[in-house]
Amino acid sequence: MIMGARLPTTWRIAWRNLWRNPRRTSLALAAIGLSVTLVLLYDGILRWEADYLVDTITGPMLGHVQAHAPEWRRTRAMDKTMTGSSRAVEALRRDPDVGGVDARVYAPALAALGEEGFAVMVVGVDMAEATRPSRLLQGLKVPLGGRRVLVGRLLAEQMGVKPGAEIAIVGQGIDGSLANDLFTVAALIDTSVDLVNRQAIVLPLAEARELFAMGDEAHELVIYARDPARAGPLAARLRGSSELAGVEVLDWKTAAPGMNDLVELVSVMWVFVLLLVFVAAAAGVANTALMSTFERTHEFGMLLALGTAPSRIVAMILIESLALGVTGALLGTAFGGALVAWAYHAGVDFAKLTGGGPTSLSAWGVTFTMIMRPRLAAIDIVRVVLAVMVTAILASAWPALRAARLQPARALRE
Amino acid sequence: MLSTKYAARSVGRNVRRTLLSMVGIAIGCVLALFMESLNKGRGELFARAGSASGIGHVRIVPADWRGRREPRLRLADWRVDLAAAHAIPGVAAVTARARAQVLLAVGTHVVPVEMVGVQPDLEPRTFRYVQTIAHGRYLRAGETGTLVAGRAIADRLTVDLDDEIVATTVGPGGGIQSALFRLVGIVSTGTDDTDLAVCQVALEDVQRLSGYPGAGEVSIVLNDYREIDRVRARLVQTVARGDDVMTLSELAPDVEGHFKQDAAMTRFVSGIILLIVLLGVASAQLAAVLERRREFAVLAALGMSGPQMVWLIVQEALMLGGGGALLAVAAGLPLVWNLAHAGLDFTRYLGSTYAFQGVLFDPVIYGDFGWWIVVYVGAVAMGATILASLYPAWYAARTDPAVALRVAQ
Amino acid sequence: MVTRQPVCAAALAAVLIVAISPGSAARLSPQPQPPDVAAVLARLDDLYRSKSSIARMEIVVTSPRSTRTMRLKAWTRGEDDALIVIEAPPREAGTSTLRVGSNLWNFLPRIARTIRVPPSMMLGSWMGTDFTNDDLVKESSMHRDFSSRIDRRSDAPPGWWLRLDVKPGVVGRWARIDILVDDANLPVEERHFDRKGRLARVMTFDETRTLGGRRLPAHLTLTPVDQPGQRTEMRYLELQFDVAIPNDTFSLSRLERGQ
Repeated sequence: MIMGARLPTTWRIAWRNLWRNPRRTSLALAAIGLSVTLVLLYDGILRWEADYLVDTITGPMLGHVQAHAPEWRRTRAMDKTMTGSSRAVEALRRDPDVGGVDARVYAPALAALGEEGFAVMVVGVDMAEATRPSRLLQGLKVPLGGRRVLVGRLLAEQMGVKPGAEIAIVGQGIDGSLANDLFTVAALIDTSVDLVNRQAIVLPLAEARELFAMGDEAHELVIYARDPARAGPLAARLRGSSELAGVEVLDWKTAAPGMNDLVELVSVMWVFVLLLVFVAAAAGVANTALMSTFERTHEFGMLLALGTAPSRIVAMILIESLALGVTGALLGTAFGGALVAWAYHAGVDFAKLTGGGPTSLSAWGVTFTMIMRPRLAAIDIVRVVLAVMVTAILASAWPALRAARLQPARALRE
Repeated sequence: MLSTKYAARSVGRNVRRTLLSMVGIAIGCVLALFMESLNKGRGELFARAGSASGIGHVRIVPADWRGRREPRLRLADWRVDLAAAHAIPGVAAVTARARAQVLLAVGTHVVPVEMVGVQPDLEPRTFRYVQTIAHGRYLRAGETGTLVAGRAIADRLTVDLDDEIVATTVGPGGGIQSALFRLVGIVSTGTDDTDLAVCQVALEDVQRLSGYPGAGEVSIVLNDYREIDRVRARLVQTVARGDDVMTLSELAPDVEGHFKQDAAMTRFVSGIILLIVLLGVASAQLAAVLERRREFAVLAALGMSGPQMVWLIVQEALMLGGGGALLAVAAGLPLVWNLAHAGLDFTRYLGSTYAFQGVLFDPVIYGDFGWWIVVYVGAVAMGATILASLYPAWYAARTDPAVALRVAQ
Repeated sequence: MVTRQPVCAAALAAVLIVAISPGSAARLSPQPQPPDVAAVLARLDDLYRSKSSIARMEIVVTSPRSTRTMRLKAWTRGEDDALIVIEAPPREAGTSTLRVGSNLWNFLPRIARTIRVPPSMMLGSWMGTDFTNDDLVKESSMHRDFSSRIDRRSDAPPGWWLRLDVKPGVVGRWARIDILVDDANLPVEERHFDRKGRLARVMTFDETRTLGGRRLPAHLTLTPVDQPGQRTEMRYLELQFDVAIPNDTFSLSRLERGQ
């Protein structure tokens, strides 16, 4: 029609047929378009959700792969450290599959603002790593060093501590000596990890090591993989490597199976709903296709009487359905795609959307925000369009075949 | 009534279209029904969790407990509270507990735990982790000096069944107090962290060991979770002075909030699904109207007014809707019945117990089944079809007989 | 069965020292007489009971990683009050712990702060040693809580192995203790068995001297059995019993002023 090259006649007729009844066709397109939009929106959220969950679970504390001294996870004893950790960290950072490495120190201690002592966990982290996006202290811009520390907000409330306060931290050094020093509270932190907010005092790794008379050692190496999906194989490979010889290396799913369950559950729930939406969409498409073909029995009869080959009628019906489906799908894709793109940039607040309620979700000690940022991959769109096409063809198959076998005289009478 | 018969005959004239429309409506209704049933089931899931995770539907706590959840707090008068709880009708189980921060020790192995003193004959009804004991047995009523612990605790202490464990705590005066317990049961919750949280002994044992008399909480499980607020209102007046009453929603506010959000989201989805179906049906109805332009033209020429024509179409729609509703009920009832009885089982993904926001869940969600289904389906189907027919009806009413009759069919 | 253990500050080292009994001077006799077990145990128990004491001691904690030596001075009064001040190493000198009744404070000179220790942290190991708080405040009595008998004769070193089994109903970590006493009725070795009958730790005693008017082993070594490379040693340098201690010794102000 417009493109210069001429489409086969059947196609042109099919297309024109669609628009003979603009209202009905528009309604049908709207139905198909809406279904596709919804499916794409859900797909977008699903795709985001899975990634987001894994990111939020692994980002702050777990990492994708963890390394510890063999007994540390079980006993949490101060002296079970990995020695020579700086060298290991550097070697790991050079690994092509590794995105980042954070070395950590965990030491139980006593902290006091005045006379009252509180049991706390002192955590030494690599500040450069921990302030990256999705990490424990993401976006933190408070300068540290010089005995300035971060205190979990809930702990601070309990202790009655505000930024600027001076607190004493007392613990046991790794050599058994008494570790004690005064620190200034630089800021209170609200991380996504409940335990940290409740119990932790965070400071740079070097200072933590100094406080507890530690040398070049660490309790935990938190390793981030470039491709989170390949955490398992990375863990397996690092396990056998020379830098991490004699060290317990786990991927995050093994270290925290409960978290993994949560991720899987969420996927299951969303897929379940997606399926429901899909069924509705298919029903809508099928219904429309079926209805439109049945209604034109008279017309087909006419065409047959005029000498049109039955096969052409079948082809025309199928193509019409296909055209309807594809057009609707493309419209839906355009709309849905735009919606997803907007949602991705603006971020959709689930809480506001559903009329208030908690603005964050807490499970397994981790807090998840409710701001959704759906995204789509090409495969999602391809999948939906294909599904619509298949549904349209299947739905019109029966009436098409029936039309082909029509007896013109009978048909004309309808 | 003439128009009704006419409507009925019109509907019956194109059986295929009618059936397709009804099927379309039915599918949409069944899907929406499924979601709604699940939505209602969530409330039950939450309540079941309350009863299974030891929280209870309603809990009597010391006045200070709301502000700080300190294990050493005790009720002002737990016996009065227990009596008050028992006096409420519709109570499925009442159990008292007391907690203490202790250090368990065997030789040089030590584990700090929160020891919970319970009433052995009542506790399993309210706390699912002790319903199945992996090794050994649970505590017995009237027995003292026995202990049930999570596997991780037993492992760290390197003990087995029948071994003796020393429990030490700091008493009210600051003195160190100890008691001896025999391990009679080991519980396997699936994770180390949860294992470490399971350490139960008889209530009297904690009272004696900790030096703090009485119980720290009275947990109540109701037969019908919908009575929670009513029960709370009654209890507040009958518990001892100085004690407070909290409901499951207050004890686990975030969980309920999330459920509500989930419910809102699914309703939103249901709405969209119905909209899709609606558009499909509207399209079919419109086609019907267009096809019958001549017929409407004739009717108009015969004197049928616009509103009467609209009414005709609406009646046709209602019949369609009714038929669709019947189909939906026929298909939906068995589906929802199955959902209500077999439920959706997520055990495969979550294990047999799932902790969410500090609350234990049995990861099976049961749909709700009741007379509401018929009402719901009817309303949805009728509503959808009427909405779908509005435009076609309006279109039909506008038919200019002269123009319509002139157009070659 | 609950036992209430008042804070017996005097039992700082859980040392079981027996006063020399008259007539048991080292005299080689071909047939050494088995001792009166009950009497021996009673003396072992009574050794550190005193109304007040002042001691100076050295504690060495050996772990697979390091060896750490502390020297400290300790004042005790009755069952409730104790003050411990670290004298060495210099980095920790002046650090002190005060216990009065149910309260426990630490004073840290380096940062000039006094901090109260929350009850939950009072139950674990004492000062990073292998001694538990139980040992510190232990009021258990071997004589009273255990049924005892002579197990066998030991030739090297010459002495007697005593077998102690905890009496039913007694709350304590040790179900059985084997004690080797020499012919002077001083302890040489103690083996502590947990309630499963497994050997959990071994205490050895040597360097017998006269301190505070009593003859006792001044050096103790405590070795947990399933932690290789780990042990704690305590050595008494000075010891006085039933001395007059100024009242204000057990006070926060004294704590902060330092010794």
